[in-house]
Amino acid sequence: MRPLTLTRLLLRCGILTAILFAVVILALKLGAVQVSLYGLTRDLIQVLLGHSNNISSDYVLIVLNIRLPRILLAIVVGASLSVAGVSFQALLRNPLADPYVLGISTGAAVGSILALIVENQLNLPPEYAGLITPFGAFLGAALTIAAVYILGRRDGQVDSNTLLLGGIITASFLAAIVTFLMSTLAGSNLRGASYWLMGSLSTLPPKSLLYLLAVGFLAAAGAIYTTASDLNLLLAGEKEAMHLGVDVPRVRIVVYLAASILTGLAVSVSGAIGYVGLLVPHVMRLIFGSDHRMLLPASALGGAIALVVADTAARTLVAPSELSVGAVTAMVGAPFFIYLLRRRMA
Amino acid sequence: MQHGFANATRRARIFGLALVLLGALPLRAQSSTPASPAPAPVAMREVVDEFGRTVRVPQIPARIVSLAPSLTETVYALGAQDRLVGDTDYCDFPPDAQKKAKVGGPINPNLEEIAALHPDLVLVTKEINRLDTVRALDTLGIPAYATDARNVDEILSTTQKLADVLGVPENGKSLTSDLQSRLAELHAKLEPFPPSRVLFIVWTEPLISVGKNTFIADALRKADAASIVESTQDWPQMSLEEVVRLRPEYLVFAESHSDAGSRDFEVLANRPGWNILDAVRNHHFAVISDAVNRPAPRIVSAIEDLARQLHPGAFQEAPAPEKPATPAPSNPPAAAPVRMTHNTQPLSLEFACAR
Amino acid sequence: MSSPLRHPLPGDPSRATTDVRLSVEQVSYAYAPNPSQAPLFTLEAMSFQAKPGELVAILGPNASGKSTLLKLISGALQPLSGRIFLNGFETHSLPVKTRAQRIALVQQESRLLFPSRAWEFVMQGRHAHGGGLRFESEEDILITNNALAQVGATELADRWMDKISGGEKQRIILARALAQQPLLLLLDEPTLHLDIGAQVDLLESLRRLAAQNRYTVVVVTHELNLTGEYADQVVLMQRGKCLRVGPPATVLQREILEQVFQAPLSVEIAPSGRPRVTLFTNK
Repeated sequence: MRPLTLTRLLLRCGILTAILFAVVILALKLGAVQVSLYGLTRDLIQVLLGHSNNISSDYVLIVLNIRLPRILLAIVVGASLSVAGVSFQALLRNPLADPYVLGISTGAAVGSILALIVENQLNLPPEYAGLITPFGAFLGAALTIAAVYILGRRDGQVDSNTLLLGGIITASFLAAIVTFLMSTLAGSNLRGASYWLMGSLSTLPPKSLLYLLAVGFLAAAGAIYTTASDLNLLLAGEKEAMHLGVDVPRVRIVVYLAASILTGLAVSVSGAIGYVGLLVPHVMRLIFGSDHRMLLPASALGGAIALVVADTAARTLVAPSELSVGAVTAMVGAPFFIYLLRRRMA
Repeated sequence: MQHGFANATRRARIFGLALVLLGALPLRAQSSTPASPAPAPVAMREVVDEFGRTVRVPQIPARIVSLAPSLTETVYALGAQDRLVGDTDYCDFPPDAQKKAKVGGPINPNLEEIAALHPDLVLVTKEINRLDTVRALDTLGIPAYATDARNVDEILSTTQKLADVLGVPENGKSLTSDLQSRLAELHAKLEPFPPSRVLFIVWTEPLISVGKNTFIADALRKADAASIVESTQDWPQMSLEEVVRLRPEYLVFAESHSDAGSRDFEVLANRPGWNILDAVRNHHFAVISDAVNRPAPRIVSAIEDLARQLHPGAFQEAPAPEKPATPAPSNPPAAAPVRMTHNTQPLSLEFACAR
Repeated sequence: MSSPLRHPLPGDPSRATTDVRLSVEQVSYAYAPNPSQAPLFTLEAMSFQAKPGELVAILGPNASGKSTLLKLISGALQPLSGRIFLNGFETHSLPVKTRAQRIALVQQESRLLFPSRAWEFVMQGRHAHGGGLRFESEEDILITNNALAQVGATELADRWMDKISGGEKQRIILARALAQQPLLLLLDEPTLHLDIGAQVDLLESLRRLAAQNRYTVVVVTHELNLTGEYADQVVLMQRGKCLRVGPPATVLQREILEQVFQAPLSVEIAPSGRPRVTLFTNK
């Protein structure tokens, strides 16, 4: 018998964080522009010491201004999607659940397309212009979250099966709206919308957005983490969980809202990148078990690692062109999922 | 047991610390000014692009990156190609453009490649490029000038404005005046003739044509061809029924080789039901260069070409026009512009190796 | 046994003096799936009491309302009228966590989404005594081990829950309830899928645990002989009505049993004083 202790948790998270760090350094090195590992480390240290002006080669500034924000974005999005995936799998008691199963990404798509259309009518100063599409997407996601919540209630409480049904129906309905909107869009709007829908991390986010995302992630993931041991019990059955002392309605609402917000934030800036939210939880469960006190932070770190790797592959494999990161995750994720199914661990 | 709360706080602190550490890098990196490639203080001026954005560009941009094939062509036409340091994978005309450094596609250019070329001006167009790309360039401190030409006249005015920005206004003037006179001449010749009703075919399966607000439709009009499509969408999808109802006299294809155009026609003609159309039964189709697809100076040649095919009666007289001969645009010092030839053949030599 | 197994309720002065632990007072219930329709199912007002160390059997045929009564006692449902007291506290009005510290409900099956080990499963019982972000302490580990020992499942501790037999699973589920260190132990038809040997084992354990740990055990069942042999008190129910309450000898009598279970029966009193019921077939 070896129950989870804080030491073990921190040790494992520490290892994962170290792996993440190594992956980040590697990602900073790779790209269309060649950077040497030595030069990179040397210049990074200069930066950390505050001597950015000492950096002779300005390509490193390119690296820091283009690659680093993108890597940070991948970290936050990957962590958000994975934590949301774990949460929905527990909430819906369904190992096939992913962050998009309740239609949040489709709602965000509708929001972003409408924002694209509106954006062209307005003429906003540049600081705000870059925020219209993510804001519209998040608004679409939020409205979907509310709608599915209302649909998913039974006897005034969130019910797993009803929620799943309500979410799937909403997703289909919204997908039809997306198709309709796309057919009415003019050329450049259409291009922008299609590109967004594929899921990509290549749009340089304004710094304010990155910080907003990070704060949102910490808040929502933190809220979910307070219910970690409740989730362990929820998996055994809701009635049993109640008899073991879990306030089931409260846990359901907290997890639903927080996980939906995580998904909405991620999708607003990057479109719907698939397979991360579905597979990272399963892989982490294989390695660390189903205890959510370990699974949640492990999935966050694992998701960050996975998406940084996928995004780096997407932008280096066919340089100077780029694959969409959603294509990379699907190409790797789908066969891997089949492998997991065959092991009957999924 | 108070462990619970302490655990949570400790964990959150560690996590937050890691995130802050990673986040500290961009903060500090961006405390210095972004890469400014010009070695010595360079004279800058402010221009307003066709989006209404105010852009600070060097007096004479020395390192230009073009993110659209039409803009690349225009740069060459203005004789500024020596200062063009990068273009897109799809920039294939003139052939020399293929030798320039590539930065990816117009929709998703590689920001790193662009930045590595140290451009002092990047050219974009609303027609092909994304707003996000422009914003990203702004964030990096790289000036981006955006064009938006929606009809043939605007193509000419865009060319002139671009010439001003690039520091070759005289080239711009001579090029645009030449093009304008050609268009005026064409208009005069075509005046007595009623416009032909045409269907411009972008894609055969599904059948896609051009909307009436596109520059292509305007180009057709200048060739005395009226597109039968009334839609305001840019690339409307058409059904055979609609086409039959609208009864085009000619089908127009845009291809790099005339054989490809004939093939397209055969494919369409063999589709069930298409024989209803007079245009199909009488083999009334025209093939013009795919230059018509790009809002660049070369479109005028395609317009002339189409006019000749649709209204041969207007061009019976000798090729020498009434007004004084307009030779190829005068060469500004140390620049070799592309020859804009007047050609009576349906497909001119300059298009033969365009792919 | 030593103190970790007997968890005194904080701030409950009545515990030492009052003999009655569970008090069901004039409790009735009605259930209507559709608010506009007449109630489908009703439980008529009934009352009974139970002491620490007692094993109470709620006996009756199918659809007599036994499970509903159990749910009312557990606090999961709120009675339509009347009240249910556990050591002076109304069960339904307790917060969920406190309730779980005092009442443990053992259900028949446990559907696990992702398999876990037996000890993890049992340790879930400790959630009510900590929960949140707390990690399990030494005391929790001790209590879990003890619970496993009390059901004789120590060697099953490291086994996966989806790889053990039904009877073994039943024991683990019971161990989890014990780990909650409740005052009241409720079981809903625990003998359904067990063979006779396992049934006897279970009831023996329950009687022993009730005596040792001073639990009040309430078992819902339709097994006549197990009831007769092991229960200290029997609540006989039929179609939502409580017909009789009392020690087995007074409740398990031929006329009333035949009427309730609709079968020809005969009842004998064994030397121990406990009734034995046999099926009476015509020769």
